[in-house]
Amino acid sequence: MSTRHRYEIADFEAWRRIARELLLAGVPPHDVDWLDVSDSGSHTLSLFESAGGDVSAARAPAMKPNSSADLFSAADVSGADHQQMPSSDVAEHAAPVLRVSRQCLDVLRSAAMFRDAGRWALLYQALWRWQQGDQAAISPADSDGARIHVMVKAVQHEIHRMHAYVRFRETQGERPAGSPQFIAWFEPVHEILRAGAPYFRQRMGRASWMIATPGGIAQCHGEDIEYGPPIPQPPPIDDAGESLWLSYYQHTFNPSRVNARVMTQHMPVRYWKNLPEGKLIPGLVAQANAGSQQLGQTDSVGARKGAPIRVSAARAMPVREAPRTLDTCTRCELGRHATQGVAGIGPRNASIMLVGEQPGDQEDLQGTVFVGPAGQLLNQALEAATLSRDAIYLTNAVKHFKWEPRGKRRLHKTPAQQEVDACRYWLEQELTEVAPKVIVTLGATALRSVLNHARIKLQDQRGRPLRHGDTWVIPTWHPAYVLRVPDPRARTDALADIVAALRQAQALSESDVVAG
Amino acid sequence: MKLRDKLEILADAAKYDSSCASSGAPKRSSAGKDGLGTTTGMGICHSYTPDGRCVALLKILFTNFCQYDCQYCVNRRSSNVPRARFQVDEVVKLTMDFYRRNYIEGLFLSSGIVRSANYTMEQLVEVARRLREVELFRGYIHLKTIPDADPQLIALAGKYADRLSVNIELPTQESVEKLAPEKNVHTIKMAMGTIRSKLDESQDKRAPRFSPGGQSTQMIVGADASDDRSILDTAVTLYSAYKLKRVYYSAFSPIPDSPSSVPLAPAPRLREHRLYQADFLVRGYGFQVPELLDADRHLALDIDPKLAWALTRRELFPVDLNRADEAMIARVPGIGLRNAQRIVGLRRHRRVSWADLSRLRCPMQKLKPFIVVSDYRPAAEPQSEQLRKALIEPPRQLDLWGAAA
Ligand code: SF4
Repeated sequence: MSTRHRYEIADFEAWRRIARELLLAGVPPHDVDWLDVSDSGSHTLSLFESAGGDVSAARAPAMKPNSSADLFSAADVSGADHQQMPSSDVAEHAAPVLRVSRQCLDVLRSAAMFRDAGRWALLYQALWRWQQGDQAAISPADSDGARIHVMVKAVQHEIHRMHAYVRFRETQGERPAGSPQFIAWFEPVHEILRAGAPYFRQRMGRASWMIATPGGIAQCHGEDIEYGPPIPQPPPIDDAGESLWLSYYQHTFNPSRVNARVMTQHMPVRYWKNLPEGKLIPGLVAQANAGSQQLGQTDSVGARKGAPIRVSAARAMPVREAPRTLDTCTRCELGRHATQGVAGIGPRNASIMLVGEQPGDQEDLQGTVFVGPAGQLLNQALEAATLSRDAIYLTNAVKHFKWEPRGKRRLHKTPAQQEVDACRYWLEQELTEVAPKVIVTLGATALRSVLNHARIKLQDQRGRPLRHGDTWVIPTWHPAYVLRVPDPRARTDALADIVAALRQAQALSESDVVAG
Repeated sequence: MKLRDKLEILADAAKYDSSCASSGAPKRSSAGKDGLGTTTGMGICHSYTPDGRCVALLKILFTNFCQYDCQYCVNRRSSNVPRARFQVDEVVKLTMDFYRRNYIEGLFLSSGIVRSANYTMEQLVEVARRLREVELFRGYIHLKTIPDADPQLIALAGKYADRLSVNIELPTQESVEKLAPEKNVHTIKMAMGTIRSKLDESQDKRAPRFSPGGQSTQMIVGADASDDRSILDTAVTLYSAYKLKRVYYSAFSPIPDSPSSVPLAPAPRLREHRLYQADFLVRGYGFQVPELLDADRHLALDIDPKLAWALTRRELFPVDLNRADEAMIARVPGIGLRNAQRIVGLRRHRRVSWADLSRLRCPMQKLKPFIVVSDYRPAAEPQSEQLRKALIEPPRQLDLWGAAA
């Protein structure tokens, strides 16, 4: 036989205490009457006519799976003491431990701030279901859960709006001891003062401030926030700083884009009366709609005397280094998508030239060849071969980075033959100018470009010096290939191949044997 | 000139930049400390103007004197606008005073080009330095970066700012040459590249702090003849090459005494809106630009880009919401990322039904042809053309600024 239980609830803590007792006693939701006696109980809202306006834009609570909070245990792992159910009499009960996930408790706590007389019953119903193992009770796709989520969203939205729409006025001149310098009057729809106030402590540093609401006040003199009973709405302070804000608000508005519906959706009319800019809105909308503002410029600016700047086009042009011809090259499309062309580097009389494929992501940003991961590997190989990087000429077959987007990264793409052909124009200039004795080609693209032979295969040529005109050509791997080889043994071998090629290059460059 | 006059002119001159984000900064707090300001990571809109735009930052130009002659810009040297110039002190004080009264999250500072790129950049950096080092300001600072400025100045800007931005303004090199003769795509990219390199370096905890909110840019839509495909291609190029946080699109609006090189009529806001939607699909949902724009070079105006995509890929639908993976569910028109996640979450408890979706506030009419759930599957397949007609959104004023947030 069930008895009816009846409780008067003033706040979440009171509800939590009683809910705990009821759960332990196994009292089902339909046997309990909850009476809202919070100070806001008198002006409750209907649950689904949230005065919050468009609640759908609010952020939902973080839905991460969480550790569970023991409804009873005092041992709160996170140390966040507000997560616990009051627990003075745990031991006496020796009852089954009631557990509720932290996430569930957070959701219920937020929902409890929603000003509605039916909230305590709904919360108990959800908690009851949760205890029975029905965790869908707080899912937004559940019928109870959906109501709770609407409440949570509205509450979070209101907290967010408090952070946004509180307007402090600064008390001018002398003020009585203990009276705050910055005072705001705010009228939240839900009971969020305590949830919303701590933000202002972070914001205001050591300044002293007070936020007064119809349900109570929060004030801070640089240390902790104190909460107190409501005070009558303070008379507005005459704050000179406010008028600059009004000027700003008017002029940052673009009348040619007037869209009052969207504004009102984000900033519902009920807030306007406590926003200094609120009183400007009707006038600005009317002016814009009257069509006098087709050009998007505010009247008072347009009415001022204007002045073109008397600078000649030639003088206005910023002084820039003349663009290197490489940067303006349009022989192929690659230049469009790259940051810059990357030219070769090294002594003009170097006897060894290293030719790679193309710049990579880092080379493209820094404008220098072989500075990315492959470049670092090349440095290792050079060191192993006791070749100084400064003594040789380093370049690429293609001068612009070819890539394709992958999210926030650029993925290397092998240049097409026609791009290699187009870019040989630049490589040939370098070859003519440096006239190296030995060229080490790194990878297949470089080999094909240097030999000007589209079908030649690296596998067939690797490790053997070739004679090409007056020059020795030594084909080897590209260091980027070494980085890609998955098998560590093979990787070591590939790197050794490069080192061997470099040694060979050095030997040949020092010998008097001239290719040909 | 009085401070109020300067503020009026220089706020008016800055409002064409649509970036207003105040998010992405590391968390900072002034609780119990000297100085002022906090960043929570989320960003707060402190007000909305009647154009529906959020006011999060004091968005002003340092000066609207400018020696450049960008045709789309109200401050170009040949423009007959009233000119003004702040002192460093004035900007600092305005920022602090606005911040204390809870009007703003911080400062967005840009400038016309005076004397030289370096000189101009120095002024912007000095404002930021004073705010941080003298006033101990911990709110948000966004500095516009002048492309030709010395990389050292850019490094300094990133030391103080939470976000830097370099505006590319137009999607193609040809358009920049034509409409912004003093600007240069190459130097713009170089500046973005410098910022990206510094951002990469700052990943290392021991490296000096650098623009923790990353970098962004803006493209004006409809000032030149570029189509949506090239706008989005450019955006994607910039996102991946320079790791931009955001590309802002700003529908060209005619300015007083517009030169004849730019259109007389404003670009449709709806186009801007569709670009934001497509951009978001690319960044958030893993769509590729060619998927959204394979046949056409322009996005449809009458339906949103995801729906347009789905109508050309009927073979992928209907999607069984009880089986499909989350990424595919998020590709269903009418289901967003969060609901896709919730649907997958719900599947752990039970099979997803029609009523579940409606409780998740999905637009059921739109969804209907594309889904299968435990108690529903679409009847005979209507033709894409019919569907499209049925699903065209009723014309209304769109939330043109919030949509892509
Ligand atoms: S890759 Fe070579 S040919 Fe192509 S644009 Fe760049 S420099 Fe010119």
